[in-house]
Amino acid sequence: MTTIRAQDCTLMISGNVVDTDTHDGLRDANIFLEGTQNGTISDDEGYFEIKNLCEGDYHLVISHVGCEPHYLFVELYQDTILHLHLDHAHHVLEGAVVSGQSSKSTTQTVQVLNEQKILDDINENLALQLEDITGVSILRSGSSIAKPIVHGLYGNRLTILNNGIAQSGQQWGNDHSPEIDPLVANKIKVIKGVSGLEYPGSNLGAVILVEPKRIGNEPHLHGRVSYFFETNGFGHGLNAQIQQQLPRFSWKLNGTYKRSGDRSTPDYLLRNTGGQEANMALQLEKNWSDASSLNVYFSSFNTDLGVLRGSHIGNLTDLEAALQQEIPFFTSDTFTYRINPPKQKVGHQLAKLNLKHFLNDSQWLDFTAAAQFNNRKEFDVRRSGRSDIPALSIQQFTYFLEGKYQQEWDSGWSLKTGMQFNLIDNTNNPETGILPLIPDYYSYEVGTYAIARLKQRRLTYEFGARYDNIIQNVATFTDDVPREVVQYNEVYHNFGLSSGFNLKLNEHLSLDYNLGYASRNPGINELYSSGLHQGVSGIEEGDVNLVPEYALKSTLSLAGNVRERFSFESLLYYQDIRDYIFLRPTGDVRLTIRGAFPVFRYEQSHARIWGWDAMMFYQLNEPLSIKATYSFIQGDDLTNNEALIYIPSNQLSGVLKYNISKWKGLENLAFEITNKYVFRQDRITDEQDFVAPPDGYYLLGLETSTDIQFSKTRLRILFKVDNALNTRYRDYLNRQRYFADDWGVNATLGLTLRF
Amino acid sequence: MNQKIQSLVLLFGLAMLPFVFTSCEKDPEPPIEEEVITTLTYTLTPTGGGNAVIFRFQDLDGDGGNAGTITNGTLAANTTYTGSMELLNESETPAEDVTEEINEEDEEHQFFFQVTTPDVTIGYADVDGNNNPVGLATTVTTGAAASGTMTVILRHEPNKDASGVSDGDITNAGGETDIEVTFTLDVQ
Repeated sequence: MTTIRAQDCTLMISGNVVDTDTHDGLRDANIFLEGTQNGTISDDEGYFEIKNLCEGDYHLVISHVGCEPHYLFVELYQDTILHLHLDHAHHVLEGAVVSGQSSKSTTQTVQVLNEQKILDDINENLALQLEDITGVSILRSGSSIAKPIVHGLYGNRLTILNNGIAQSGQQWGNDHSPEIDPLVANKIKVIKGVSGLEYPGSNLGAVILVEPKRIGNEPHLHGRVSYFFETNGFGHGLNAQIQQQLPRFSWKLNGTYKRSGDRSTPDYLLRNTGGQEANMALQLEKNWSDASSLNVYFSSFNTDLGVLRGSHIGNLTDLEAALQQEIPFFTSDTFTYRINPPKQKVGHQLAKLNLKHFLNDSQWLDFTAAAQFNNRKEFDVRRSGRSDIPALSIQQFTYFLEGKYQQEWDSGWSLKTGMQFNLIDNTNNPETGILPLIPDYYSYEVGTYAIARLKQRRLTYEFGARYDNIIQNVATFTDDVPREVVQYNEVYHNFGLSSGFNLKLNEHLSLDYNLGYASRNPGINELYSSGLHQGVSGIEEGDVNLVPEYALKSTLSLAGNVRERFSFESLLYYQDIRDYIFLRPTGDVRLTIRGAFPVFRYEQSHARIWGWDAMMFYQLNEPLSIKATYSFIQGDDLTNNEALIYIPSNQLSGVLKYNISKWKGLENLAFEITNKYVFRQDRITDEQDFVAPPDGYYLLGLETSTDIQFSKTRLRILFKVDNALNTRYRDYLNRQRYFADDWGVNATLGLTLRF
Repeated sequence: MNQKIQSLVLLFGLAMLPFVFTSCEKDPEPPIEEEVITTLTYTLTPTGGGNAVIFRFQDLDGDGGNAGTITNGTLAANTTYTGSMELLNESETPAEDVTEEINEEDEEHQFFFQVTTPDVTIGYADVDGNNNPVGLATTVTTGAAASGTMTVILRHEPNKDASGVSDGDITNAGGETDIEVTFTLDVQ
């Protein structure tokens, strides 16, 4: 025990708080010392000081209106000066930021969801969370199955990195969600430009990065617990995260459990649309010296998802009957959490080991080894008790290795180069008793890349190249009986080239341009699919003669920021894809004992996708701000002279926000009104779909949130209402639209306690 | 190169070994497709005696591959027949009798008959545990000579209580179609 003498309590913490992006001083920032009653507010220039502190350990909370709170641990034994940077939560666009000091370090257009935003949307899955970013849409199959679309590309063409590792599962399926828990992440980034060549996978589309933050320097056990409840589907869930830095290593543990029952439209319950999810992630960090560090990461994702009972149909006649129904078949008035077939049961495990070694201050090496295990089972309504036997059951094991070298020179040049190996082992379990749609295969992938970057005061220039060699070893079955195994061995070479620059025109304006050329080999599903895809009631046929597709993409973005008051970003993109592979209705109908089924075949066309993403933020006065976004996209099949299917509708949204820094005991009190209008996708002709695309629709959202600082804890309360007018609508990109309306009103209460 | 880097490179090399040694081929076993229905045989026997008339759809390789073959029959005018339905999975040896499965789950199944041939009526001659029709046994009556088609549909999990369904009207039935086959039905 040490007795505190009066003369010990003469220490001072002072410093300034600035906006990370603009480097402007932030006034009225709250600086609070947890466990004491001590605190202060920054002055007009962002400066603050807290006097008469005793020697000891302090936990600081720095918060500012519209910013994500910053947490800091300080061992105080002398007067200390802190320079604090706060991220602005309402500037979801990182690209819209022009740094006052120097040009940014990438020429890519990047948009970010931060931790607070992720937790505020705790009831949503990864794709739904991403929908808040301009230019990102989602392809849904009912209530809980959703996958992101960025600039019109998705599935095989979109790379999702979970903690640096390319997510490997059955991405080809339009009704397969990415198996990632967004609540594990502290940051989700979307690189919308010509995607970074350093990432494995397809180079044609955007890259989505789901990133857990590094563990802080906090010697005490800290964490957060979040809980939510939502009225639609009576969903609720819990997420907890704890972390600590021990003398030998640091650790962080994150866990999530979510459950919901039947969702509802404004008029009726959607039978069998509940879901259940249990996830966990463990992160370990060890530093041997300043030069070497080891990172170990393990995550487990497990979910059961119900599929709308009325959307499970037999043949074309059934589909036509279902399309005629105002309310889907099998609709029931009784709410239940129970999930029956048709349903999906998916597990995804990831283990990752990363070793970083600095040779000196400007050169370092990075090694990663990762293993993923994806297990997907889909259950259909089947005869004679077979509903308990999955109709689709696939295991995929992925083994990944990467070596990276980076060097920086004083001249402003930097080089990043590396090599990657990837092995995919895909196996169908014969338990299904059904001929598999996707064959068993091995895929060996070896890739290498180099990216050079020159960073000057106003200009950053980047050039990169990538080569991949892919060997596919596939075993399919013959169409006729007796079934025989047919082996295919294919070798593909993929090339990627990209270049771009970022130019800081003046203090407020920044220009990015990117140009990329890349090839993508045909996917396993595109080459070898064969058989009935029950979910879409069609026979899908691959084509072993498909050739790789080649894409040229360019993006041009202009971003501006005038102090705290006004910011904007405008992004234009144009993508030309030769031999674009897609599933096209052939117009043929195949007669089987189960009746007639339409036949879809993978074909290649010359495709063009272009569009415009725009965002504008304006602070009208102290508490009141508006944010408006617009995204326009058009996709054309130039060979067949028609529109591409599954291209998102154009969207317009506006958010009016009233945000005050402090009111009584409430900090960062905000009220938000969200208006969203989705236009009708009117470029699709009747021959391209079973029914015409639905009408455009308007949705109103309301949200209020606040933080409360207690002595040692901080509580965030959020209440939001989605589809507040209980609007009846159907969305073009939701495949459930053939059968049922979309969700009605949903009110969500969210609580997060930090300790 | 210092020792640390050498050991890192060695580690990387070791980690690559699985790629070198796993170049083998997949050799999957074909699944046993026990749920498939390959053959539908609808046998109509005249109640007054005489030769049975057979309607058959057979598709041994399932949904893909070759198309199925259809055998049509011709009925006599002004005659009453006893109809009996048989479903087989002939992709297995010996062939599996799917009719039994339907019989065991008769509350979840119902056959529907859509006939365009004038004066031909098909009525149910069996019931499930809830006194609703199934359609494995039927009664067929013909009128004057005419020609047209007969579509046989088997629905899984129909709503038998919905309006008209137990009378053989498929409109409000819902459920999934397990079988839908159209035959030429001529009456001479």
